[in-house]
Amino acid sequence: MRGDEGMTTVALRINGVEHSVAADGRRTLLEVLRDELGLTGAKRGCNQGVCGACTVLLDGRPVRACLSLAAACAGHEITTVEGLTEGNELTPVQQAFVEHGAVQCGFCTPGMVLTATALLKENPKPNVAEVRTALSGNLCRCSGYRKIVDAVVAAGGAR
Amino acid sequence: MTLFLEPRTVAEAVACFRDHPEARCMSGGATLVAMMNAGLADPPAVVSLRRIAELVGIAPAADGWTKIGGMTPHRVTAAETRLAGGQAIVRLAAGRIANPPVRNMGTIGGSISFSDPAADYPAALVAADAEIEVVGSGGGRRIAAQDFFVDWYTTALEPGEIVVAVHLPPAPRAAAAYEKLVKTEGDMGIATVAAVVEMDRGACSDLRVAVGACGPHPVRLRESESDLIGGRLDADAVARLASRLAEALDPVDDVRASSDYRRKVVPRMVARAIATARARAEGEQ
Repeated sequence: MRGDEGMTTVALRINGVEHSVAADGRRTLLEVLRDELGLTGAKRGCNQGVCGACTVLLDGRPVRACLSLAAACAGHEITTVEGLTEGNELTPVQQAFVEHGAVQCGFCTPGMVLTATALLKENPKPNVAEVRTALSGNLCRCSGYRKIVDAVVAAGGAR
Repeated sequence: MTLFLEPRTVAEAVACFRDHPEARCMSGGATLVAMMNAGLADPPAVVSLRRIAELVGIAPAADGWTKIGGMTPHRVTAAETRLAGGQAIVRLAAGRIANPPVRNMGTIGGSISFSDPAADYPAALVAADAEIEVVGSGGGRRIAAQDFFVDWYTTALEPGEIVVAVHLPPAPRAAAAYEKLVKTEGDMGIATVAAVVEMDRGACSDLRVAVGACGPHPVRLRESESDLIGGRLDADAVARLASRLAEALDPVDDVRASSDYRRKVVPRMVARAIATARARAEGEQ
């Protein structure tokens, strides 16, 4: 899979679709998603793995796209916010974000939604503390966390 | 251009470093890629360990030791209930690393190879009396955790050597407690304390306390610990150990706290960690 010049052809399965991208060994998944494939849901925030704006799911688990080398993601199932549903449909988590006003500028939202989606798959009815722990690596700098946590708890149907 | 190499065995990985001496080793990527993004590393080749199946997983051995493969993610270590007794200190520390997505990516081998003194594993592994198994072109060796963490971001690893596993000695009758003082959950610690305590009919039969995030490497005072063995871990004796530990620290002023603050708060954290571990040890008797 690798050429002598360092350029690698990487086969990535993103939102159920196979993509073949030419990537230098140091290219991150986030760069490939945004710059190569036009999937701009994952945001570039700190680029250090701290803010969570670039969160995507790797085999269903939240990871940092900014800290993932694209070449190291071959063979895994990658899900971005664009791949959660078809068309204009919303998932229960997305619908709950709308209903609870859990979006302000929206920069953190894709990462929040994906992290919450993974949480609910593992723990369908999380309580407030469990939601806060799960979202502790996703920073929001405008709306505050209350409405986001409320939305995720509501999406899980627990109180 | 950066070459991306994916050896399938440890021997192949070692060969990669012979062929590319300037290559950097990557396990989960949480540290190396962050450094590359920050412009602090620009390796001509990255050697990913992700396809080396033998490096992943936690395996108890018949003699009571437990082996944690170098590529084992923090999420797995944090949930491993077989890390019990004194070995639980490593599970407790793993559960406090950063946040869930980083715990999905980061691995014990990658974390300790970076040797950030403010990370969670160094103090825990020193308190656990862990041994770090490394392999290089000259073969394999095991390094005591206390000797592995040498200085700021510096380990006893020789060029071309990789961490393949962490081995924890048995401590079935002991219990552990991990104290981490943070400005906000998920941040690096202002100070960390890892304590392992074993009690035998009211008397302390084993005590191991390491302080992290307060200098270039974890601090542990074995002689001062041994003064408490056989005693009842009364408040004065614990306070003496705690204040000796605080004196032995070499903390810095940084964005999280001042050096003075760290020295002031560590003795209280030590006392709390020992008390918690003791209560757990006696609860399990």
